[in-house]
Parts: sequence; C-alpha cells; structure tokens
Amino acid sequence: MRLDRRKALLVAERDFRDAAGDLRLALAMAGLAIVIPIAAGSGIRALVLFGGGLSDLVERVSIVGAFFVVFLPASYSLVLALESFVGERERATLEVLLSTSLKEAEIYVGKVASVLAISLFLCFGALLVYCAVTFPGLGYFPLGVLVSLGVSTICQVAAMVAGAVIVSANARTMRAANVMASFIILPMSIVLQVEAALILVGRGELLWGFAAAMAVGAFILLRMGLGGFSREALLSRDAGTKGRLRRAKRALADAYGKAPGGLTLIRARLVPILASLLAFPVGAGLGYLAAGVLPGRVVGPVLSSVLAAAGRPDPASLALAVFLHNLLAIVVAGLLAAVTLGLTGYLLTALPGALVGYAAAVSSWSLALTGILPNGLIEIPVAAIAGGLAIHIGASAIHMEPDGGWTRRLLGAQAELAKALLWLVPLLAIGALLEAYAAQLPR
Amino acid sequence: MLEVEGLAKRYGEVVAIRDLSLHLDAGSTLVLLGQNGAGKTTALRCLSGLLLPTAGRVLVGGRDSALEPDAVRAQVGLVPEVPGLYDRMPARGYLDFFGRIYGLDEATRSRRIGRLLELFDLADAGERWLGSFSKGMRQKVALIRATLHRPPLVLADEPTSALDPDSSRVAWRYLEELRADGAALVVCTHNLEEAQALAGEIGIMSGGRLLALGELQQLTRAAGLKKRREVVERPTLEEVYLAIVGNGAEDEARPA
Repeated sequence: MRLDRRKALLVAERDFRDAAGDLRLALAMAGLAIVIPIAAGSGIRALVLFGGGLSDLVERVSIVGAFFVVFLPASYSLVLALESFVGERERATLEVLLSTSLKEAEIYVGKVASVLAISLFLCFGALLVYCAVTFPGLGYFPLGVLVSLGVSTICQVAAMVAGAVIVSANARTMRAANVMASFIILPMSIVLQVEAALILVGRGELLWGFAAAMAVGAFILLRMGLGGFSREALLSRDAGTKGRLRRAKRALADAYGKAPGGLTLIRARLVPILASLLAFPVGAGLGYLAAGVLPGRVVGPVLSSVLAAAGRPDPASLALAVFLHNLLAIVVAGLLAAVTLGLTGYLLTALPGALVGYAAAVSSWSLALTGILPNGLIEIPVAAIAGGLAIHIGASAIHMEPDGGWTRRLLGAQAELAKALLWLVPLLAIGALLEAYAAQLPR
Repeated sequence: MLEVEGLAKRYGEVVAIRDLSLHLDAGSTLVLLGQNGAGKTTALRCLSGLLLPTAGRVLVGGRDSALEPDAVRAQVGLVPEVPGLYDRMPARGYLDFFGRIYGLDEATRSRRIGRLLELFDLADAGERWLGSFSKGMRQKVALIRATLHRPPLVLADEPTSALDPDSSRVAWRYLEELRADGAALVVCTHNLEEAQALAGEIGIMSGGRLLALGELQQLTRAAGLKKRREVVERPTLEEVYLAIVGNGAEDEARPA
C-alpha cells in the first residue's frame, strides 16, 4: 500500500499536539515519569547506604527498578492509543478524518507514530532520570541489560498501541475499550513480572529473548491493527450490533454445517497440517538435544515414580486412559489455539516428538521409534491434523480483514476442528487400543 | 457528476440500502427525504466512498468508488450529521488542518478560511477552541470544513438541523452558491419546507429503498394526490411525502 508520508506526519502532528496540549494530562504524565524514577533511584541508593553497601542482590534490584520505572510510562501508551482511536470514534471525529482523501494507512501510521513518540519520550526520559539518580558512584552500570530493556520497551509500547487499535475496531465506547484493554495490560504486566524474576535469579541474559518475543508480538499486532483499521470495519460495525450472541451461535452452526469433512478438509488445510507434522521431527531434535541438559539420571527417577504411581493397569483401562489423554490434549490445544496464536497446534506434535527424541538420546533411535509403533502410525497423523486445524484457529485469530468478520472467521475455524473430531475420535480410539494391546510398553 | 447503479449495502444480515439508482449532473441538487433509519446516512456514506457498496456501483466524476475510493473521496465534501470537531483546536487551525489534508496551498487556505469564517459570522471566534462553540457554530464549522476544497460533489446530512433561521438561510445560500459554481449537491433533511425551497430533484427513501425520485410535480403524480378530491390543486411536499411513505412504509429495513 502506497503511503504519503507528509499526510501521515500531518495526522501525527495533530494528534501529538492534541495529547501534549492537554496540560493537566501532560503534567501528570511528565510528573510521574520524573517523580517515580527519582523515588525508585533514591530507594536503591538508600539500600546501598543503609543496607551494608553494594551487593549482588542490590545490583539485581536496581535493574528490576529500571524495568518498573519504564513500565509505568509505557502503560500510558495504551491510554493515549485508546483515546486516539476509540475516543475519536466515539466523538465521531474519526469518521470525519475517514471521509477525507487520506488513506487508512496514513491515518493509522500517523496515529501510531504520535502515540509512540509521546510514550517512548516518557519511557526513555524516565529511564534516564532513574539512571542519573541510581548509578553514579555505585561502581557499576548494567549497559547490556538496559539496552535490552530499551529494545523491549519500544516493542512493548508498539504492541500496546497496536493492541489498542484492534480494541478500537471492536469497541464502540471508551468504557468497553477500557475493559478490553485489560487483555493487553495484564499480559504485559505478567511479562514484566517474569522479566523481574529472571533478573532476580541472575538470568538477565534471557531478557534478550523477551525483547525478541516482544518484537515478534509487536509486529503481529501492528500488522493485525493495520489490517483491521479500515473504513468498512470501523463504520459498518456501527450497525447490526443487536443479538450478538444469537448471531454468534448461528455463525457457529453455519460454519459447522459448511465445514468440509475428511479428505476435503485435509486438502483445504494442508499447509498448517504439514507445519504441525513438521513440528514432530523438530520436537524430536530438540528432545534429543535436551538430553544433554537434562541427563537420564535426573529424569529417570521422575519417570519411574510416575510409572509406579500409574500402577499396572489392565489393557482395557490403559486403552481408555490413553484415549482420554489424547482426546484431552487435542481439545485443550483447540481451546487455547486462539489465545496462543496457534502455538498449541505445534505443541500437539512437537511435545510427543521431544519425548521420542529424548528417549532416543538416552537409548537409541530404533528403540525410541519402536516404542511408538504401531499406534504412532495413527496417533501422529491424527495429532498433525488436529494440530494443523489448531494452527488455523490461531491464524484466524491474528488475521483481520478490512471488511471485518473476525468473529465469524474464528468461529468457522473452531467449527472445522469440532467437525473433524467426529472422525478423529474413532481414530484416536483405534490408536489407544493398538497401544494397549499391540505395542510393547516400557515398564 | 454522480452515477449510482443498483446500489445495495448490507451490514451483516441487515439490508440498509437496496437497489438504489440515480443520476445527478454537475450544478444540480438532490434532496433525500425519509424517516430515521430509512437508509439516508448509509446512502451518503456509500456515495462519498466512505463505505463500499455490497452490490451495484457508484461513480463520482467517472471514478468508481470501489476501484478508486481515495480519488472519489477527494472529489467529495461530506457534511455528516454529527459535526465531529476536535474540541481542543481553534477553529482556524482546525480548518487549516483539513485544508492541508486536501493539499491546498497556504495562500488558498488562508483566503478561503478567512472568507468562509466571515460569511458564517465566525471571524471573531476563529482563534477560540471548538470545544467552546455552540451547536450551531459547530455545524457551521463542519460545513466549512467539508467544502473548503471546493469539491464537485457535496453530500450534506441535515446540514442546518442545529442552525437558527438566519444562520440556516446563510448556509443554504452558501450551498446554492456552490451549486451555481457547478457542484452537485445531495442533501438529506427532515425539513420539508427547506427541501421544497431547494427546488431540485427530490428522492423519498423508506426501508432502504428509493420509493420515488423526481421533481415535486412528478412526485405529486406518483403519489396520485391530484386524483383525490380532498387535496388542493397544488399539494405541499409534506402531503406528497406522507402519501408516498404511507404507501411504502411497510418496507422498513429488515433482514433479507
């Protein structure tokens, strides 16, 4: 899509002035961005002064402080973005902007740029204040961690802004948007807590992984936001808001009725099914490598105790247990596919693959593969098909089209998995019977 | 200037517009009448390129709104029912912002904004924030904003609903001036007196359908009013409107 940068800049400039021109809001944001870092930095210095000098723990706490200091202004980005998109929609100013010759991408980029500029200015301003108060004279400066924090902050803010755009496409009022925004701020605060935990246990190097994951998340959300930010989606949804539950039920029933069965479905979803199938050898490779980190002498006793606890069930009970376990795995993967963006679809095959790889590492490939035969010949394809359909659910969740219809597409993808279970379940039962009666289970 | 062929617009299961066809030359006026929910606002949104037709097509200046929506919107000035102004902007700065969006140079922006603020008696309020404006003042600013770039097609959704009679007269005179300069006007209104005074084509909508289209005399014939003994020789637009909508009112917007 071609984009006139001058026009996007025009939108950004207006939004920037609008947000910065609200003196009370600007003062509150700037005040918090200055006062909190000073308070946090002073706390660290007091800890050094009265807590017996600089210690490993104080160093780690000082880094955690930097993450918290940056998170607060980063969270303003959500407020600003909601105001910029949902607020404008509620006041009908967005419709006016959309009625001009501006392209959707110019409005989207302009608005996102303005929110990013303000939020990042506050985040990095707060970080600078914190560093200036905390580190001088302490004899250390955690540059590497702070750089990873900087990168992760940019992506975090971008993800929150893009998330707000997606919310704006689905919320008509600020009240609804604020409720929906919890789905953005809560995962972000969990990420912050995990980051803090990693720093405290001395695994700060893993923060780069978080920064990378945040970059991927931001990219996906920005792309979704751009896809969903369209005149058609924003204005058409003003109509037809009644009886949503009834329409969702009907959409699900329609999708279930129209979902293809058997080979037609496999042909239609061949790419995600193959991706899920590919996850099996990838998982096996990772499992094989994991044996180097988790040696058999560590895992062995755990496995033995699990097997001992299971006892020696008769073949019928074993078949039932295996069947229910596999069915539960598929159902859980399907249910979580939308919120994990399809990751559970890969896990459905990658995890069994990892177990086989691990077993191969501690014994041999031939022995490990014998352990999953002949039942694996049925269970692995079934897992790959269910996994592929779960990946498709995840893909539907992150795909927004200009004409909307997100709910309908997601329900359609879920209906496909539900309908496929009609013939996957008998196959699972056959696999379980083979495993109980024909396979040589290790004891 | 405007060519609409078999336009239909659905929102999910709700059919907002069905089979709308009309033609409007440059320098002519079309007044759309209809009850709330008749489909007028959706029709204007489709004609302006803001929404894409579900079926049929809209051509503005020969450009198809589905194929070249940006080019269509550049030729249209849309005055929505809700002014939708930025409260924390001064009127002059606000209009300047939209002038820049439409690519007007600084001198043209300054000249046009100055003249129109003067015309609508807003010159003294040019530096005031729009949040402090009365309802009528806001509507005037919305009208100026939509026509600042002198679009060849002006679509106005109840442009004078919040204006006092004097301001209303100024607004109509301004729209008439645009029409005389060659712009085509499509105006939605509930004010039948104003509609009659505009002396153009009149379209009556109900349930997403265009029930009747033509000049008052043609509509009078279509309504069959002259055949009734109780009606005077020259029926008013109100009588014509009620007769036509009464006949077609059962076609309220409903699921297809």
